[in-house]
Amino acid sequence: MKIIRSYPFLFFLAAAMTVAVYFSLATPVVGNFGDVVTFKMNGTANSIPVLLKLDRSAFDTLGGPHIIATDRYGTRQVVRIASKSQIEEAGVKPGSSFVAQVEYIPAERTYVLGPIERVDPVMTFDFIPGLGELGRNMLFHVPMSMTAFLAFLIGTIYSILYLIKKRPGYDRSARAASAAGLLFTLLATITGSIWARFSWGTFWNWDPREVSIFVLLLIYVAYFILRSLLEESEEKKARIAAVYNIVAFVSVPFLMFVIPRIKQSLHPGGGGGEAPIINTSSTPVHTDPALLNMHWIMVLLFVLLFLWMKDLFARVLAMEETTEN
Amino acid sequence: MPSTATALLRKDFTIEFRTRFGVSAVVMFLLVTVAVIAFSTPGEQLSSSILSAFFWIALFFGGMTGLARSFIAEEERGTAFLLRVYAPSDSIFIGKFLFNLAMMLSLALVSVLAFLFFFRDFAVKDWPMFLLQLVLGATGIASVSTILSAIIGRAVQKGALLPVLALPVLMPLVIATTDATRITLEVANSWDGIRENILILLSFDVAITLVSYVLFDVIWKD
Repeated sequence: MKIIRSYPFLFFLAAAMTVAVYFSLATPVVGNFGDVVTFKMNGTANSIPVLLKLDRSAFDTLGGPHIIATDRYGTRQVVRIASKSQIEEAGVKPGSSFVAQVEYIPAERTYVLGPIERVDPVMTFDFIPGLGELGRNMLFHVPMSMTAFLAFLIGTIYSILYLIKKRPGYDRSARAASAAGLLFTLLATITGSIWARFSWGTFWNWDPREVSIFVLLLIYVAYFILRSLLEESEEKKARIAAVYNIVAFVSVPFLMFVIPRIKQSLHPGGGGGEAPIINTSSTPVHTDPALLNMHWIMVLLFVLLFLWMKDLFARVLAMEETTEN
Repeated sequence: MPSTATALLRKDFTIEFRTRFGVSAVVMFLLVTVAVIAFSTPGEQLSSSILSAFFWIALFFGGMTGLARSFIAEEERGTAFLLRVYAPSDSIFIGKFLFNLAMMLSLALVSVLAFLFFFRDFAVKDWPMFLLQLVLGATGIASVSTILSAIIGRAVQKGALLPVLALPVLMPLVIATTDATRITLEVANSWDGIRENILILLSFDVAITLVSYVLFDVIWKD
């Protein structure tokens, strides 16, 4: 546990968190030529960002300035550009990849290059139809929910340990873990409902997972209410609260894993549908590897952040108890 | 079953028959709930989803009024100490749990009769499945309120606390039973529709009863 409090670890966590959040927000979300056509045809967007690789045979003369570029799926297309300088000023050389807005003109059956946004990007995320830029929320909302579940699990394990070993430290850790879990649940709710506003149209619409997270908040608020209403010795308070924590945790897997999978849900995996979270079907839904890897990095960092917060909360509780005595 | 558990059960029933405190409070609560529902929806066609929600709201909060007393009464009368001396904690849990289960099942019976009598739209299509999910739901509520009323026997704001603590814990059960009740009100052959709900209820009941049974000793002993 000592390493969690050490400065090198904290510096690492702060730096890694900053870099990860930067990449989560700044990594371009790109489509391909097919997406450009789809979006133009159904009127969703005139142009979307596409990751292009400039072929060597660029700047030829096809009745105007053109380039030949390949998208991520290896589709080669002729793309009209405004002028040769558009490419040269951005610093795009043959063979290098870049992200640019691409528009499709159905009448002429040609692609037109819009503003160039990024040259040689470190990584890109897949354009998810219907989500677009909103897909980034998977890097915050989902890791937060996962960390919240882990926090409640760890809190319950500490409660069990407390009942077995009767060491006050375990009780403080259980409380600290539950408090941090409550915070992560709240953050997951907030990120989720802001996302829902822009994706589903309302902040809240009682989706099964929204019911679940709402009840989870109630459970752990009730846990802290119970503790404040017990008028017993510290030891008995801790014992009774530990029992409630364990009893309450019985319903957590039902709320987080069972009910949202059975009921019809707007979240992935509802109503026996295909679930990118836990794939059970024979034809699983695949998540973009870059997005998925970034997601696991965020999970790791949030879990480390949780461990640090849990340690901090537990130390604050220990100090409060010392000053009270 | 340990003889001390039967003795405790007999004692609780005797007290209940003498005072009729629990039963009368719960029945009053139920009738008031039914009256409020009836007055607020005059002449309206109540859909099965609304009726099943009302039914479980009445059953849950009715249960909370009646079952909260099981340990609070012992603490208030000062008999909790004698009980601790007299019987091992596992037979106390079994006795109290069975008493709460009996209370909950009779409450369920009265609720069903009241709903059948007062609401024309409350027409159960699949009785065996309806009774099955009713018994499973009642068992879960009885088991959770047994352990939680032992917990709040030791807290300050005893009266209001049980629903606050119990509702979030019972939420998976309430979600599953309201759905199952709705389906049994709608279709005659409901097994396919409610199978998943019944499985949730069964696993929840077993898990929560076992956990409560194991942990009761920790709450009960001083």
